[in-house]
Amino acid sequence: MKATPLSNCERRFILRAIEERKRLDGRQCYDYRNVRISFGADYGCCIVELGKTRILAQVSCELVPPKPNRPTEGILFFNLELSPMAAPGFEPGRQPELLVKLNRLIERCLRNSKCIDTESLCVVAGEKVWQIRLDLHLLNHDGNIIDAASIAGIVALCHFRRPDVSVQGEEVTVYTPEERDPVPLSIHHMPICVSFAFFQQGTYLLVDPSEREESVMDGLLVIAMNKHREICTIQSSGGIMLVKDQVLRCSKITAVKVAEITDLIQKALENDQKVRKEGGKFGFAESIPNQKITAFKMESATVDTNNVEEQAEEIITKADPPSEVFAKPILHTPGTAQIGEGMENSWGDLEESEKEEAVEEEGESEVTAFECEKIETEDTSTMRETKDEPIVLSDSEEEEVVILEPQELPKKTRTQTSSKQETTSKKAFNKRRKKKRAAH
Amino acid sequence: MATAFKTVEPLEYYRRFLKENCRPDGRELGSITTADGSALVKLGNTTVICGIKAELAAPAVDSANKGYIVPNVELPSLCSTRFRSGPPGEEAQAASQFIADVIENSQMIAKEDLCIANGKLAWVLYCDIICLDYDGNILDASAFALLAALKNVQLPSVTINEETGLSEVNLKQKNPLIIRKHPVATSFAIFDDTLLIVDPTAEEEDLATGTVTIVTDDEDRLCSVHKPGGSPLTGAKLQDCITRAITRHKEVKKLIDKVIKSIKPK
Amino acid sequence: MAEEEEEKMAAAGGGCCLRPFSCEQGLLSRPDGSAAFLQGDTSVLAGLYGPAEVKGSKELPDRAALEVLLRPKVGLPGVVERSREQLLRQTCEAVLLGALHPRTAVTLVLQVLSDAGSLLSCCLNAACMGLLDAGLPLSSLFCGVTCALDPNGAIVLDPTTRQEQEARAVLTFAIDSTERKVLTATTKGSCSVEEMQQCLVAAQRAADTIFQFYRDSVRRKYSKS
Repeated sequence: MKATPLSNCERRFILRAIEERKRLDGRQCYDYRNVRISFGADYGCCIVELGKTRILAQVSCELVPPKPNRPTEGILFFNLELSPMAAPGFEPGRQPELLVKLNRLIERCLRNSKCIDTESLCVVAGEKVWQIRLDLHLLNHDGNIIDAASIAGIVALCHFRRPDVSVQGEEVTVYTPEERDPVPLSIHHMPICVSFAFFQQGTYLLVDPSEREESVMDGLLVIAMNKHREICTIQSSGGIMLVKDQVLRCSKITAVKVAEITDLIQKALENDQKVRKEGGKFGFAESIPNQKITAFKMESATVDTNNVEEQAEEIITKADPPSEVFAKPILHTPGTAQIGEGMENSWGDLEESEKEEAVEEEGESEVTAFECEKIETEDTSTMRETKDEPIVLSDSEEEEVVILEPQELPKKTRTQTSSKQETTSKKAFNKRRKKKRAAH
Repeated sequence: MATAFKTVEPLEYYRRFLKENCRPDGRELGSITTADGSALVKLGNTTVICGIKAELAAPAVDSANKGYIVPNVELPSLCSTRFRSGPPGEEAQAASQFIADVIENSQMIAKEDLCIANGKLAWVLYCDIICLDYDGNILDASAFALLAALKNVQLPSVTINEETGLSEVNLKQKNPLIIRKHPVATSFAIFDDTLLIVDPTAEEEDLATGTVTIVTDDEDRLCSVHKPGGSPLTGAKLQDCITRAITRHKEVKKLIDKVIKSIKPK
Repeated sequence: MAEEEEEKMAAAGGGCCLRPFSCEQGLLSRPDGSAAFLQGDTSVLAGLYGPAEVKGSKELPDRAALEVLLRPKVGLPGVVERSREQLLRQTCEAVLLGALHPRTAVTLVLQVLSDAGSLLSCCLNAACMGLLDAGLPLSSLFCGVTCALDPNGAIVLDPTTRQEQEARAVLTFAIDSTERKVLTATTKGSCSVEEMQQCLVAAQRAADTIFQFYRDSVRRKYSKS
């Protein structure tokens, strides 16, 4: 599906508003949209909403042999997907430039900042380490994907618990959650990205741009920072020149925003943990707001399954019992046999050679070749005659047998005699058709 | 010794065998069996060939006593104009999944039978089902071809040498595969929401408003009821399909038995 | 929590009990229709675009071209997803009055949010709610019901992952809303004909409850206008 382009008047409108220090959603220049974090029932699963931008994150793990050059380190794998659900312009199976750029930034933010202790993921040096995989899915695109993705990523990693393992000699035992409590990853700090959009060659600056604002911006500055005010990565794109003061000002704003978001994340994590410990309800079902009129909940409902057996029995008894008359297989040569009457197929039809099928058969004596022409093939060939011929459309021996030309065939024994009749009539028809073709 | 010779001088290794008028795998010159089991099935114009190739591999860690069965349905561009060359399309993938489900649901082969040494060695059966001519009802033809080919598989006996820990393949002694169940698929096309047609052709499938595939086994149990969307049916109509499928199963079983019997004496 | 729920279910009478359902409609701003459907801890998010402009090769002259994409939570879609996509697409096509929007494209994207059993039926329900939310013309509604046959042969409706693993057979049906007919059926494991028919009858009865749930959600959504 095509993305809708931004019209010129819309573009001018947004830019004019920015010049007047106004934003379409009523925010101030330095305001961040609301961040909402909800956790799934599984460990390492969360949805982060940044305004209307929504990202799903899931962390999973697997025991793998380590990379040969780093035998004592676990492996980290990050993958952000732009689901076609997120915006009409995103197509499945394509890697747009934007996605490559975002994935590289995530990589730099989460891997290169060394926030995850990879050495603690080693089980047997040089043989078995944990591979931690983080899948991020963009569900709704309303701008500033990178900030939402970095928050979702780090929240999911903090929330994740891997199975406990023990090593005795060469034997590695992986414990199920019932046997031993799963263990969290060791995470040193939480890097979080904050984006700044620049307009009019850097004159105007907006924090956390929405999708519309992103489509008219001149340049973007992304700063990843942790709550200790350490910059983990910084990237300026879009080809604007920034003065030193501007970068400094942005990093100061980032520090404030990161502190706020980190607090929120910690609160959310603590809350979820508390609920789990107390045996309360958790999971996505709990994050659906009750008061919204677009949301509706139903308690566990019982379904009456009394006399299901009787009702099922009734259906079965009403149906005809399986036919006792079977087609007899005809053996051609060892390894080749057939059931059903029709030996013909339309392979040679175009060349108008009727005997061709016979030759065909002999060709495949090497491997066990089966000829299986079913009785039902008659049905199919009659279909083609619908134009001018009374037809026999039969679908097995049920009452659906539609006989347009009332034939006297008894219901259950629709094999030899009737099919022969059909074949003869069909042959006659075929001949007629050929004549027609010749006439053309 | 022989393996070392083969690795170092593969060409010479072959020449030695060919001089003796036989090939390294024990076959005489002239025969062209390249698969461990195979079958060709024709339903009207629809032609499907199935080849089974057996290879040895280590079983998965979590199921140490099980072998593998890897089915794959190919709908190459030669079988119909509706398919393009390149990676498998939706229909081919759906058919592969269907065949995999049938194998799994029916338990036609106990995967434990494919295990040679617990945790060390097991057979992998690659079941390649290739459509040569596509004229509808590919699922029935594929399932049938698979069953016939599996019936026809002869696996060489493999023993593990206690001392060396290496496996020894005895090509002289071949055993047929144990087929525990004989699942047979029967497909129906639904016409104009009411009419059921068994074994539809491609033309009919295109015009139909839905399809149903029923797979039954020897004890008339259902291994699969596959109705991917299309016109809605009542339970009674579905029952009619099942009844027909049961009859069909008996017919097909007879056919397979007869063919297998006919090639045994050789 | 899952265990508690199972116990509760067992107490409620032989497991013939649906887990708590919830549904939120129109929760995404970009798609033309969206819905999140939850059955216990299983949840699926559906987002739908269309009817919209269609790419040349996919265009159908007489109806809308429907595309269904199923996205797993971990990794990329594989053969299992492809075959489910086909099943879901053909189910939606059966009720969608596509002829009213010829030469257009409708894209339905389903994202698995969490899988705790009966995933396919949850996908079907999310797809139907998504179609409803987008306001596309439909000839009828459909709902998905999963039935499991436990080792004793008893029917378990809307099974959890563990119940599915223990079960001899798992059957999933899509039932239409007009005559409670079967739109879609797919099975895992083997069962007798009688058991299949019993599951179908049970699924048809469960469908009544689910359609009532659909009706209540939609009524609530349109309660203020």
